[in-house]
Amino acid sequence: MRPRSSRDESGRQADGGIAIRVRNLRVNYGEHEVLHNIGFDVKAGETIAILGGSGSGKTTLLRSLVGLERPSGGAIWIRGQDLCCISPREMAELRKKFGISFQGGALFGSMTVGENVALPLREHTRLDDSTIEVLVRLKLEEVGLSGYEDYNPAQLSGGMKKRAAIARALTMDPEILFFDEPSAGLDPIIAAGIDDLILKLKRAFGMTIVVVTHELASAFLIADRMVLVDKGNIIAIGTPEEMKANPQPRVRQFLDRVPDPEVSADEGFLDRLTQNLRL
Amino acid sequence: MPVTETLGQATIDGLAYLGDLAILMGRSLHAIIVAPFQGQRLRGQRVVHQAMSAGVGAIPILSLISFFIGVIMALQSAYELRKLGAIALVARAVAISITRELAPLITAIVVIGRSGSAFAAEIGSMKVNEEIDALETMALDPIQFLVAPKLLAMLLMLPCLTTWADFMGILGGATFGVSVAGFTLGSYIQATLHSIAFRDIVTGLIKSVMFGAVITAVGCQEGLSTGLGAEQVGRSTTSAVVKSIFLVVAVDLVFTLLFYFTTSR
Amino acid sequence: MPLSITKRQNGAATIVDVTGEITLFNAPDLRKVLMELLKVEKARVIVNMTNSAYIDSAGVACLVEALKVARESKLPFAIFGLNRVAKEVFELTRLIHVFDVYGSEEEALRAAQQAPSSAAV
Repeated sequence: MRPRSSRDESGRQADGGIAIRVRNLRVNYGEHEVLHNIGFDVKAGETIAILGGSGSGKTTLLRSLVGLERPSGGAIWIRGQDLCCISPREMAELRKKFGISFQGGALFGSMTVGENVALPLREHTRLDDSTIEVLVRLKLEEVGLSGYEDYNPAQLSGGMKKRAAIARALTMDPEILFFDEPSAGLDPIIAAGIDDLILKLKRAFGMTIVVVTHELASAFLIADRMVLVDKGNIIAIGTPEEMKANPQPRVRQFLDRVPDPEVSADEGFLDRLTQNLRL
Repeated sequence: MPVTETLGQATIDGLAYLGDLAILMGRSLHAIIVAPFQGQRLRGQRVVHQAMSAGVGAIPILSLISFFIGVIMALQSAYELRKLGAIALVARAVAISITRELAPLITAIVVIGRSGSAFAAEIGSMKVNEEIDALETMALDPIQFLVAPKLLAMLLMLPCLTTWADFMGILGGATFGVSVAGFTLGSYIQATLHSIAFRDIVTGLIKSVMFGAVITAVGCQEGLSTGLGAEQVGRSTTSAVVKSIFLVVAVDLVFTLLFYFTTSR
Repeated sequence: MPLSITKRQNGAATIVDVTGEITLFNAPDLRKVLMELLKVEKARVIVNMTNSAYIDSAGVACLVEALKVARESKLPFAIFGLNRVAKEVFELTRLIHVFDVYGSEEEALRAAQQAPSSAAV
């Protein structure tokens, strides 16, 4: 009953309905390895939430999935194509099927909101200008920003910027949608609106959706499956129910929102505080 | 660290930087010259926009500066020529120094201040706000989208601005010549036309095209290599200006040497 | 599946049969057909979506443009045969109540004939 079943048959969803496959992924920032041996699958049409605290490596994971970070090891396949080995042209074709909403919005400051949303259409399609206008207004309507086409991004509040960025991510009706912290910093009503939008998109367009978040409530609401990342490792994967039942202490700590225990002030602590000092 | 090691490292860094600039230029030229034949359009509107702000916007300040430089050149050369009783040669001195050297250089410096720094600031803040990432993930090549239109606009506008600066500089010289050195406007123009060869103007224009390439490459490279954080944008801008001025003068030296040795015999 | 668009006359209305997926890349073809029918031939247009498995936002945007032109020239413009997915898309964009959407060709045709030369409500 997947809405885009006809697409599967036409062979465009290669690899048996797996949209994203990650195996043994390692990513380094200089000498420092931030992701160690990550592996998971995202099925076509599935919504997956990548959860983790700040500094856990979840944003790096997302950036690797869209080809913004070069892995130092392992492989990522998207729609059956290995990201390491595809030509720039194939990468460009693949990216036209992506929609990405960045954490800070990443709207182009030199363009109006409407021009931002229209940009992928103007660059990649031969749609008439009037069709693009209508489409842009439809997308802004969907995210609750109708009437803001002619505003500059600088005139929008943080939440509005984020919603405009989501509208831009949606313009090409992508097959795979990536969200980096969609509801961080938004008020609860708007955050709930965004969760609702994600659910609708999944239902109407059968999109594969990858959401990076640390908002537990939102993740439990929208995700079919969750991946919990901690210090660069995946510590748990499963449906929301499986996660709730997971007994691992670190998983429980994250889901039950327990702070890290205080480290006792031992000798090492004193050494750290007085390191490199001549007293 | 020993001096030799520091020196060696600086040389390697310098060469690596020039390599980065060359790669950036190569990719932008590819986007300008080759890509349109592969069905990827060049963004004409963006080129026009850049040409307007980098070129047309520079005209008032450039006019004023090159006029002053023309007057100054006339004064300085008259100071010496007067002693030799050859004040009539002022027109010649102004014409040659302006067209061969000063107009291209002054134009480049004005453009560095107005546009080179703006390129670094614009691209740098886009980098900081993840806009460059956003472009890439929309399957839009930042070089094709951002750098190529700037480069084309600069390659077209710098020679135009330099020609204008030639004219304004000579006008400055003429103002002095007519009011102090006993020329009439007609005789000053006559003397100028006699003393400059077509070659003088062309070598100046060739230089200005090279300056345009250098300014764009440095401005955009500094922008693209901006680190994290807003204060990095300021640093990129400053270093774009300093590096551009240095490289423009270096390129000027190389080309002047080249022109000198290809014509002296 | 590639998009094919055919026109046929049924009573007072022109039925536009759309077969295949309507996407960003072929929506201009649909737009061209609809605009010509509405602007040049001043036809009463009914769009048959029964054999269209998928319509994306660009397709919807084209239909919105067509609807606007029809309303301006007081021509009836209707759609029928939306499948569940297409309905979801129309609902997501809150357009399901803006368009005249019918279940079958007969219903759409009856409505198109009843509206002599003024826009359907």
